Amino acid sequence: MGVTDAPWTLGVCAPDRSRAILVVTVDGELAVAVRDVVPRGMAVVRDARAEDAGDIAAACLPWPWMVIGNAVSLTPALATVLRERPVLTYWLGAAPAGLPEHARCFDRPAVLLDIVRGAFAANVGGMHLAPGSGVELGDGTLLRGATLESLVAAYPGGFALPARNFRAVADALARHDAGWATERDHNDRMTLVPSAVAVRR
Amino acid sequence: MRANPEVLILEDDAETLDELQSHFTRKRFHPLGARSASRALSLLEHNRYSSRPVLAIIDWDLGKAPDRSASSGDVLSRLARELRECPVIVYSQNIDAFNVRSQIQRSHPRALLHDKRDGDASLLERIDRMLDRTVGDLRIHDGTVVVHLPTLDQHHHREAIRLVVHHPDIVTFHSDTATKAVRRFGEWLHSHGSAVRLVSHGNRKYRLNVTPTEGAAPDIEA
Repeated sequence: MGVTDAPWTLGVCAPDRSRAILVVTVDGELAVAVRDVVPRGMAVVRDARAEDAGDIAAACLPWPWMVIGNAVSLTPALATVLRERPVLTYWLGAAPAGLPEHARCFDRPAVLLDIVRGAFAANVGGMHLAPGSGVELGDGTLLRGATLESLVAAYPGGFALPARNFRAVADALARHDAGWATERDHNDRMTLVPSAVAVRR
Repeated sequence: MRANPEVLILEDDAETLDELQSHFTRKRFHPLGARSASRALSLLEHNRYSSRPVLAIIDWDLGKAPDRSASSGDVLSRLARELRECPVIVYSQNIDAFNVRSQIQRSHPRALLHDKRDGDASLLERIDRMLDRTVGDLRIHDGTVVVHLPTLDQHHHREAIRLVVHHPDIVTFHSDTATKAVRRFGEWLHSHGSAVRLVSHGNRKYRLNVTPTEGAAPDIEA
């Protein structure tokens, strides 16, 4: 009754700079479950199908903060985003070809949903996700930037991406004397480390 | 000057629509009522440049609508694309069904969901909770003013009401006039020593914060 069949008119395709969770599934059931665990105002859940996932990912500006999938293959457009950007990537069930090395796969939805909850609760030396977008530092300063949001939420994990993707974050953290820096960990992933540790190394 | 904020209501049942419109009129909002999706789209189009509703109430099931050339999904998609800052409540008898929820969320990812089986009173209660909000030391009164409770001073601009209604969400403002009004509201909060602060997220995006946060946020990847 309330259904609109024209995918190009769907609100989920509208560009938006708020923190976004892109959930790509066959039927939307997992997206509904994810939405139920997202604290109010913290992120927008975008419910995608394989055929429109690339377009919807492109509408998440600058890129989706988190991508969750189940039982779908990766379109080339989405695979490119996941390969080139620090996107928290979680998959339920068998992983499709093209997922980045730092993607995490789960057998049970409950475990995946706990991980999503945990991402919002992340606190790295006082740095935590601000509502909607950005990261609040321990002193209340708000820093906008999707990469820092991803690093905070992934901590102590990180991203198998080139160091150049994280230079702006490293500079901003140093400028604000946040006490944290970016560094490659023993898994060859870029992550946050206390500045003192980074200097010693 | 007071400008009563508009509320868009899409409800196919004439009696329920009357009840909702009366409720908002009593609260000094200006209801834009429609029994069909096409009428709601037309109201949005005609009010496009003059106003932007502070709230939309959408009935998902429009079986009694006099005109079915458009759907509630079309209205939601339009709201999501063009009036993202407008909070939307969608109600349906089948809100528990994941496929209905999925369809609603694909039409409007930020829509709030309400179970129609809980009755009209429950919907009105929820709306009142949303509109008569208290955020820190601020309270919306009569839908038209934001009151600073310690001093009882009032701020009358609709964009201020929008920010309070939306708390803690970010609101995007679409004109220089609206952005200036928001900044004036921020200055008003500061001059009153309010516990609420205006936080800028850049690109005309603002939110209210009840704990101290520094004003301008640099984009570290800009």
